[in-house]
Amino acid sequence: MNVSTRSLVIVLGLVLGGAALASAQVPPAPPAEFPYTGNRTAVWIVAQLHILFAAFILGAPIFAVVSEWLGYKNQDPKYDRLAKEVTKVTVILYSMTALTGGLFIFVLLATYPDFTTWLIKHFFLIFALVYPLLFILETIVLYLYFYSWDSLKGEKKARHIALGVLLNVIGTVTLFVIDGPTSFMNTPAKAAEGVSIFEYIQTAGLWDKIANYSWMPLNLHRLVGNVTFGGFIAGLIAAYMYMGAKSDEERSYYDWMGFVGNLIGVGALLLLPFMGYLLAYELCDYDASICPYMMADQLSMFFEMQGAMVGLIFLASNYYIWLSMKRIQGVEQVRISGMVMIAVILIPAVMSVAWKLFPPPEWQSLIFLALLIVLPPILSRLPGLRFTVSSFTMIKVGFLMIVVANAIWMTPHGFVATQALATEELELPSWASELALMPAKNAAAFTLVFLTIVNYILYNRAIRSGTIIWGKIDFTSQFVLIFLAFSAIWTMGLMGTVRSLTRKYYHVYNLMPDFTAESFTPTLAYSAWWITGVTLLFYLVVSFAIVVTLGGGGQKTEAPQGTPVPAGAK
Amino acid sequence: MAEQSMTRNILKKGVIGVVVGMVFVIVAKATHFPTVFQVMFFIYAMLGAFVFILLDAPSMNRLQGGKAIVGLILFYLVLSGVYIGGATGLPQYDPEIEKGKIDKILKARRARTQRGKAEELIARAKALNERAASIDERLKALGGGAQVAVDAEAVPTSPAAAGDLVALGKEQWELQECYNCHKLFGKGGKKRGPELDNIGNLMTPEALRQKILSPKSWMAEGFEKQYKKGKMPNKYKDLMFDEEVDALVAFLATLKDSSVKTPKPVKMN
Repeated sequence: MNVSTRSLVIVLGLVLGGAALASAQVPPAPPAEFPYTGNRTAVWIVAQLHILFAAFILGAPIFAVVSEWLGYKNQDPKYDRLAKEVTKVTVILYSMTALTGGLFIFVLLATYPDFTTWLIKHFFLIFALVYPLLFILETIVLYLYFYSWDSLKGEKKARHIALGVLLNVIGTVTLFVIDGPTSFMNTPAKAAEGVSIFEYIQTAGLWDKIANYSWMPLNLHRLVGNVTFGGFIAGLIAAYMYMGAKSDEERSYYDWMGFVGNLIGVGALLLLPFMGYLLAYELCDYDASICPYMMADQLSMFFEMQGAMVGLIFLASNYYIWLSMKRIQGVEQVRISGMVMIAVILIPAVMSVAWKLFPPPEWQSLIFLALLIVLPPILSRLPGLRFTVSSFTMIKVGFLMIVVANAIWMTPHGFVATQALATEELELPSWASELALMPAKNAAAFTLVFLTIVNYILYNRAIRSGTIIWGKIDFTSQFVLIFLAFSAIWTMGLMGTVRSLTRKYYHVYNLMPDFTAESFTPTLAYSAWWITGVTLLFYLVVSFAIVVTLGGGGQKTEAPQGTPVPAGAK
Repeated sequence: MAEQSMTRNILKKGVIGVVVGMVFVIVAKATHFPTVFQVMFFIYAMLGAFVFILLDAPSMNRLQGGKAIVGLILFYLVLSGVYIGGATGLPQYDPEIEKGKIDKILKARRARTQRGKAEELIARAKALNERAASIDERLKALGGGAQVAVDAEAVPTSPAAAGDLVALGKEQWELQECYNCHKLFGKGGKKRGPELDNIGNLMTPEALRQKILSPKSWMAEGFEKQYKKGKMPNKYKDLMFDEEVDALVAFLATLKDSSVKTPKPVKMN
């Protein structure tokens, strides 16, 4: 796809969006009826596809500019090539974002005309002016960023990086702006005691509607999620290219790219459980009835599935570190204090008790946390406690604890889709009910995060003292990278479904009821089919974009690759 | 050689996984975990075994060209199958349970919208038309002079009309999901709000109405933290019709089980 075709597609997308907005002003027409899927699922598919593309075009530039900056700082051309290749794919997928965005508005207007016009009227300034302008601005800066890559190099590189930063600032503002109406649908602005929300919303200002309960938590969750997404997709690109590489030189470069993609993806992933927790906390704080709907009733098994997915993602990302370490020569000499291993084993139990005694946001639990982190290095200096374990032993114990943490995270209060159907045969015995409560879940999440950090510390020590040969990683690792991207996208689809469903039978929670016959909560099985379908469709398009843009072999790196180099010198 | 070592690896870790899993099952059984949890613990043990099999697995041969593409497609199919299968294997919430509830809540609200009113008028006109046609046919059949009996079902009798306000109130308790935060008749949550079995002895109907419509007007003793955080949603004045609030109040006023220690309500403002 050349520049003019891409521009044409984007302009078409914007025109579709504009036309859709304009048609929002005409009197309501009878809603369209989508065959087979029904209206709600049709909107679901298009919206989910749009969000996946949008997440990529917002996450990938963050990844790209950080990589470009690292290349500039370390004078390492590999980083610059990585940044450029990711941006190349982003440019292609940008057109898809515009197209699916336009399609989304059209489908929404055709299927839910009353609600859509109502929402557009409440956020008219955003939909008619701010959002389109930001999108156009972002398009211009993205193309400037990409097409000035070769002209702004050498001494002018800093200017190019500044352009990348500007692109990310605009992208982040765009995300925050569109999150306004999205979060408003979940938690519309609250009226003061004694004032009707219906009356209040008619007079509330635009900012009151945007700055609602879940706006900032959603912003943070999506921002961090997008970086994770960008990292894992970079890993996916690397895996495809590694598989298709014809020379050792190419393989060593894409092996390295996969490692960096995974590192950034996992780095952001570590924050995601806490961002998700913050969003859920605000939703529950907004309306206490949302909490049991999510955790105990209709959506409880969606969270069970989420626990399984997050657990698998953490397992896979740590398995990738393991495979990366296995190819470092001299890794067997790397050792770590045995006290760290003991701390790792104690974390789930100690933190469960700490968070039970002092639930967030009470700060006292942080003392336990600090002790678990600070004590191992102090104790390991004491005579008699100076024993060490090999890095492989530590990682294996770590994996055991990851499985334990996953087990805690996934243990539900009862194997029932709603508490109303709970019986003794399906519920935890009362003495073990703590396993299903938030302190245990938080402790499990913290264990997963802590262990991943420990594994990266070990990896860092290994590459400092050993020798790494890029391009010689176990081929299984490429499937791990693909697994991570696929699972991250699937989980994103699942949690997006959960966020939308927390509005229950409302388009806008408590404000605008959904009177259609489809306003019930779909089953998890039904949802899983559509989430998988959307994930596969997205994968198909992304795979196509990768093959089209980079399939020709990409540019050749200037640095000699494929030869053993001291890892620490990279 | 690699195949032999992989087979040994699978056998060794597999056996350990089964043994550990069996120990889990025995301990879980002895400590009164239901069967479904015993199975779950066994699966966790096998997951652990699978992870350790992977850790010690020999390196995979490189796939290229067509083999790589087939490998990828198969991998995606397996992943899709596992995720769909996993989600399908978990207990499923039956949408039919919710549909009836949503219908009850939204029917009255829809009827009050412009579109709802128009649809109701059209439906009524259609029903009248059909009835007129049916009467006309009967008159013709009877020679035009007989008195036509009015269908019993044509006269609507709602529970409220029959004086069953308390039953309607109980229905509101379910529809508004009060049980999420209040325990009643031994069922429901009790952390966010007080249990209400004896509330009829502690609050007048007027006070109950005030609490529902303006949650900050009363506080239950011992629930200061929840009161401060505004746990009781300030939304029922907007979401419930007057007659629905009347019914709920009537139901709550009948709750006079003094054997249950319902916290004392305190008037706040």
